[in-house]
Amino acid sequence: MRTCLTLLLICAVSGCGSKPEFSHRDEYENLPPYAQAYVDEVLNTYFGTPTDMVVWDKLPLKLHTATGKVTTADNRSITLDINEPHAEISSGTELLLEAGEEAQQISAWIRSWDEESHTATLESALQSKPAEEQSVVVGPGQVLANGRHLYAEHCQHCHGVTGDGNGPTAPYLNPKPRDYRRGIFKFTTTQAPKRASREDLARVIEDGIPGTYMPSFKLLTEDESAALVEYVMWLSLRGELEYQLIRTLSDSYSNDAIKDRTSDGETSRNDIRDEFNAAVNEPDSFRYELDMMTTRLTQDWSSSQEEPAEVRPLTPRIPYSAESVAKGRVLYLNEKNKCLQCHGEAGYGDGSQTFSITKNELNQENPAPGLYDVWGNPIKPRNLHRGIYRGGRRPIDLYSRIYAGIKGTPMPAFSTTTLRKTDPDDPESAITDEDIWHLVNYILSVPFEEVKTGAGADSAKTAELATTPQEVDSH
Amino acid sequence: MKWFWCLFFAFWPIVAIALCWVSPSLGWWFPSEAASPLGRRIDDLFYMILLITSVTFVGTQVALAYALFRGASDTEPEADAKKAWYSHGSHELEVIWSIVPAFVLLFIALYQLDVWAEYRVKDAFPRDKMEAVFESINQKRSETDSLALAEVTARQFEWRIRYPGFNEDGSLKPLMADPQPTDLYAVNDLHLPASAPVMINLRTMDVQHSFFLPDLRIKQDAVPGLVIPIWFEAERQQSYQLLCAELCGWGHYKMNARFVAESDEGFIEYLRQLEREQNEDRVDEVPETDAE
Ligand code: HEC
Ligand code: HEC
Ligand SMILES: [Cu+2]
Repeated sequence: MRTCLTLLLICAVSGCGSKPEFSHRDEYENLPPYAQAYVDEVLNTYFGTPTDMVVWDKLPLKLHTATGKVTTADNRSITLDINEPHAEISSGTELLLEAGEEAQQISAWIRSWDEESHTATLESALQSKPAEEQSVVVGPGQVLANGRHLYAEHCQHCHGVTGDGNGPTAPYLNPKPRDYRRGIFKFTTTQAPKRASREDLARVIEDGIPGTYMPSFKLLTEDESAALVEYVMWLSLRGELEYQLIRTLSDSYSNDAIKDRTSDGETSRNDIRDEFNAAVNEPDSFRYELDMMTTRLTQDWSSSQEEPAEVRPLTPRIPYSAESVAKGRVLYLNEKNKCLQCHGEAGYGDGSQTFSITKNELNQENPAPGLYDVWGNPIKPRNLHRGIYRGGRRPIDLYSRIYAGIKGTPMPAFSTTTLRKTDPDDPESAITDEDIWHLVNYILSVPFEEVKTGAGADSAKTAELATTPQEVDSH
Repeated sequence: MKWFWCLFFAFWPIVAIALCWVSPSLGWWFPSEAASPLGRRIDDLFYMILLITSVTFVGTQVALAYALFRGASDTEPEADAKKAWYSHGSHELEVIWSIVPAFVLLFIALYQLDVWAEYRVKDAFPRDKMEAVFESINQKRSETDSLALAEVTARQFEWRIRYPGFNEDGSLKPLMADPQPTDLYAVNDLHLPASAPVMINLRTMDVQHSFFLPDLRIKQDAVPGLVIPIWFEAERQQSYQLLCAELCGWGHYKMNARFVAESDEGFIEYLRQLEREQNEDRVDEVPETDAE
């Protein structure tokens, strides 16, 4: 009896037996059943379920251990020209040969891999010798599968199975874990309209986000971290496709829209359903829209990985000096730059906007005064005195925060489309590269300053170095 | 039944001794040998206590088995009617088993004093050796500067580390009690010189945590509001496990990190690396050719 109870308890706590499943957005509930079924079908076809994932070649992700071409081969061993960098290849990995024009695929298993010469020895001989230049996939979908395992182990209890930021631990956290499903990430070093780069995500995973519950996962290996990055991007693409698909369908097929359309009494619900079913099968209706969405998403993400998407200052960092800090403070206090409105005159994060009524993306008023992020959570401008920089404390991090804003939050981008070096005496000239560096220096100085509210620009100076260490005796 | 209990109590000391005997060769023993001189001395204390408790355990079990054996082998006709001798309330016995353990405890208390003092009492820290390290890593310091090379701050659920930065002339600054603009930061990755005693300052940002280096036998609670100095000496240049040993919340298990013991040059190179990363401005080092 006792053991039975214990077992029951363990099951109840760990939820054994229940398979992880992707959840739906709230808007999904506002669709009629046939539209819901269509959304399910699309997501199932292209992404599968957490326990049975689909590798969709169209996505801009690196979901295989490696890809490449055959250089020389005989029946038993194949030398490959593979794209670098690739994840570690171990024995037992599957090797997929895309043979011939009929796109026939032949699977083989690697017995041993020689990293130096990129030669795989196979478990059993192939029936025919692979041709040169034939494409090969090593470990098909292996990175995705690894990512999923690591994610389930380390991240899922906060970020949720779907990446909706709503895992079992999430209710207790503030700020909330990131909801990946909008494809928006805060701490990026890419231009304002761009997505996060792989390096940005990897950095967040490695270093965590100080000042929040997002912990550092420093001890993961490079391959593990890379697999997690791909999995996060995969969840993010899935989530965003769902978001856009539901939005598109909701225009004419949400329960509200259907009510509107049937209110004149001329169209019936059944007509609308037939119309929907017809549209599903028509190649230039939903299919076309879906293709467009996917193409756009793919382009957005892959262009964000390229160099032009990076935030790159024109001038090297202006060295930290009292003079530069003072200039930064003047810029900070300049009404036009609005820093004050949010972060407050003294930088305590208590500016006027934190008390005003604000609106959300859909132009509806937020439930209470203050600022909100795109995920609908209240958000406070940073108290700059804490000296905690969630997006990292490197000059390029702070530069990017000001230049490209913090995506998904009210913190705006301050870049002019083309940066220029301006005339410091012209009050009309927009914020420049050097200005951003002065602001960075000012921000770095705030934790060390002792400025009282309203003290103006002249009192900004760096703190003196402390000279006596204060250790507390522990005995 | 008589014989069963007799054998039962004789069985355990035999099993205990046999297991202790074979377990080192089967790899069942405690964590591998301590990786520091102080760690080995702490281990010695542990083994001494293990020895005392083993002797006591084996002794009492043997005595118990012997008493039962005597009873069981008593075959005289009136044996069943014999009454046991009740020792409860015996003044003499009470005095003996109060005084003997008291002496044992007193002995342990005195015996461990210098190990504990060296580990925990600041005046007994191996200051000379620490100063030799400062010399060889070229840290410019005054008498009053902290002996610590890093500040480790525990936080739910990670270890945040702060190192001093460099002076203009390339020498290392001393660690200050408060953050400085030149400080270098890392997370879950503590690097310090090997083969000599080094000190850190331990703090916590939130609840109580415990800084635990199992291989070095170092365990110290981080207490809110206190800055606690700890020193340790890793003998080999390698990476060791760093854990939290105080149940500090649901994410306690996430607080595993790395302590890397490096050569002196390796340590400075690591700090230089942190400095380079921390000053990253993503502008390639091209001299400015922008005339007015
Ligand atoms: C203890 C809960 C927790 C765990 C575990 C956790 N995260 Fe997070 N994560 C957060 C929180 C909270 C945030 C949001 C912080 C913010 O908004 O400033 C976040 C944000 C993120 C972001 C967004 C960063 C950005 O720039 O917007 C990514 C990506 C991320 N986490 C990935 C991961 C991965 C991958 C794992 C597992 C290896 C993981 N997280 C584990 C709590 C967690
Ligand atoms: C509309 C309000 C708003 C304005 C204007 C604004 N900020 Fe922010 N800022 C925020 C919010 C909100 C956050 C917190 C975002 C988050 O949750 O990470 C923030 C965060 C920051 C951070 C912290 C970054 C980090 O990595 O932790 C810095 C630095 C900063 N702002 C500087 C500035 C400067 C400089 C200006 C003016 C040039 C400015 N902000 C203007 C709202 C604003
Ligand atoms: Cu802890």
